[in-house]
Amino acid sequence: MHIVCCIKQVPDTAQVKIDPETNTLVRSGVESISNPYDLVATEAGVQLIEKYGGKVTLISMGPPQAESALRECISLGANEAVLLSDRAFAGADTLATSYTLARAISKISATDPVDLVICGKQAIDGDTGQTGPGIATRLGYNQFVYVSKIIEVDVENKTITVKRQLESGRQTIEGKLPALLTVELELAAPRYATLPEYVRALRQDIRVWGAGQIEAPVERLGLKGSPTWVKEIFVTKPQRGGVIFDGTGSSEQVVDNFLATLFGKEAELLGELFDKGKG
Amino acid sequence: MPKNSKGRDVSEIIPDKCIGCQLCVAECPVGAIEMHGGVAKVDPEVCIGCGKCFDVCPVEAVIFEKPRKKKLTGIGQKPRPLEEYQGVAVFIEVRESKGAEVSWELLGKARELAGKLNTQVFGFLLGSGMEPLAKEAVTYGCDIVYAVDNPLLQTYLSRAYGKVMANLCEQVKPEILLLGATPQGRDLASVIATQLETGLTADCTGLDIDPQERLLLMTRPTFGGNIMATIVCRSHRPQMSTVRPGVMKMPKRDPQHQGEIRNLDFEAPREALPRVIDFVPIAPEVGGEDIGRAPVLVVAGKGACDAGAMPMLEELAKLMGGTIGCSRPVVQAGLLPYTRQVGQTGRTVSPKIYIGVAVSGAVQHLVGMQTSEKIIAINTDRHAPLVQIADYALIGDYREIVPKLIKGLETRIQTFKSKRNSK
Repeated sequence: MHIVCCIKQVPDTAQVKIDPETNTLVRSGVESISNPYDLVATEAGVQLIEKYGGKVTLISMGPPQAESALRECISLGANEAVLLSDRAFAGADTLATSYTLARAISKISATDPVDLVICGKQAIDGDTGQTGPGIATRLGYNQFVYVSKIIEVDVENKTITVKRQLESGRQTIEGKLPALLTVELELAAPRYATLPEYVRALRQDIRVWGAGQIEAPVERLGLKGSPTWVKEIFVTKPQRGGVIFDGTGSSEQVVDNFLATLFGKEAELLGELFDKGKG
Repeated sequence: MPKNSKGRDVSEIIPDKCIGCQLCVAECPVGAIEMHGGVAKVDPEVCIGCGKCFDVCPVEAVIFEKPRKKKLTGIGQKPRPLEEYQGVAVFIEVRESKGAEVSWELLGKARELAGKLNTQVFGFLLGSGMEPLAKEAVTYGCDIVYAVDNPLLQTYLSRAYGKVMANLCEQVKPEILLLGATPQGRDLASVIATQLETGLTADCTGLDIDPQERLLLMTRPTFGGNIMATIVCRSHRPQMSTVRPGVMKMPKRDPQHQGEIRNLDFEAPREALPRVIDFVPIAPEVGGEDIGRAPVLVVAGKGACDAGAMPMLEELAKLMGGTIGCSRPVVQAGLLPYTRQVGQTGRTVSPKIYIGVAVSGAVQHLVGMQTSEKIIAINTDRHAPLVQIADYALIGDYREIVPKLIKGLETRIQTFKSKRNSK
């Protein structure tokens, strides 16, 4: 089977800090990493071809540096990689991104039919989870989001059975291939690359495609193809004017002072809490 | 303003202001801007000083001082006839024949937005045997409920639901469509937006109207909750947004509210649909309360990652009429189940009173609770981020503070109640 895994290079959001003086993001020294969910997607794809045979092709849209994310994922056992990099792709929202990726998958599928696309549940920088379902809709594939386990692929009859976590319970569902999955972290633990795999990943040839190679009109790409626009960005600094009760005295003092203030200033709120059945 | 070796005035980007959106990279006509470590950088020798990067930067990270007017209109987007789109629509999610609470919360918000736009509220209801639910939707504020009732819609399937919803939008033409940011709602929203080729903003925490442009202002945390972005969708309709459960206030039901229910036909898809083989509902947790609904939430943090602390925190919560939640390390330690986790990877909560016990307040946690009405922090570190944003902070060891707090509260609540009852 032929599996395509979608990879995004993201800034490590856990490293981002806010400068309390200037109230701005401190971006210096923040590393770029492979989106953790996409590592799981790749691991899942590699495990499937180890079981059923076939190959894994990786695709990523991003600046030339995103190549390093692709190489990391190749080292997990993927066979080929395509980097979609073009100035026309910059500034894309999820609609333009899913269009670009779907065009690329169509092109890949034209020479080597794709059976399964695996994406991470979401990227840690945007947290939208919209790109995967968007790609499936464009390609007309069955889609299964939030997959926590791949139970079986029936290569003969071209079906896949997966388990997914929904708000109200766990669902087991079967559908026809080609299909697209978005995966949860619990699906698989990305392996540590062996030295030979690591070396192979460094030497692997990565194809770079621009707008021309995927035959996409520029008005549907990047900023121009994006209906949503950022109007304003601000750092959340809650203006609560908080009162701090410090333990210069005893903890008893702290609690007493706090309670006196609370019952004085917040009488109305406490009334709502404790006056049940009265209003 | 910096000059290059040819003496030309060039633009410069302030790294700490740059959000890495790459709009300037796309806009630069000479390719002078490249991304380095997630921020844009101008090569002064290539830059021709045209100022186009200054125009497109949404956060004013570009220094460019030549006088020029900032363009406000979108680039390269053809306006569509937008006036024919009217009304605020809400997708009513059905869970075991009941309406999901987030859908009612969204109807409350939809009424507010419709008031500002002077328009109607629509409910889009898909499923099987929806009559009672359609009536309930009217009491929550729908002017018209469009119900598509068919046994084939009993179970949620992305493509079938997506097709029905896209058709509904083409018929009804709402200017705004809101969905709950549940696993189902997020999936469905993306399918609809892709089919209609319109803009979608996920996980909004604030929705408002720009009256001048008649635009929906969609505010959401981004960058792992580090910053907030307000997003607009100017030239496509409907303007779509998903909102997490518990973010908007639950409206009161109004049995007097008048609304119409319209039943629409369903055209069954021809292709083979996926088949649900098994479904195991989540067993209700023993003694489990919904942390998203508790008026008071006592939250155990990393510093209270101790089995011995839990009974004490539960006692405090009970006293206040609430329940306990926790941050991620407490779940990882196996002390409380995942259903009690607050934060980006857990639940979003906005109780009347949030009490963080030894919660330091990583951004991933703050993004899940910062809309709480009152925030109380108990921590030994007065510089902890949660202390910084709290309304009240008690500095000290929770093992000393919490028992004293319980004791003090017991007496005070009693006096408080008797005082108010005698009034």
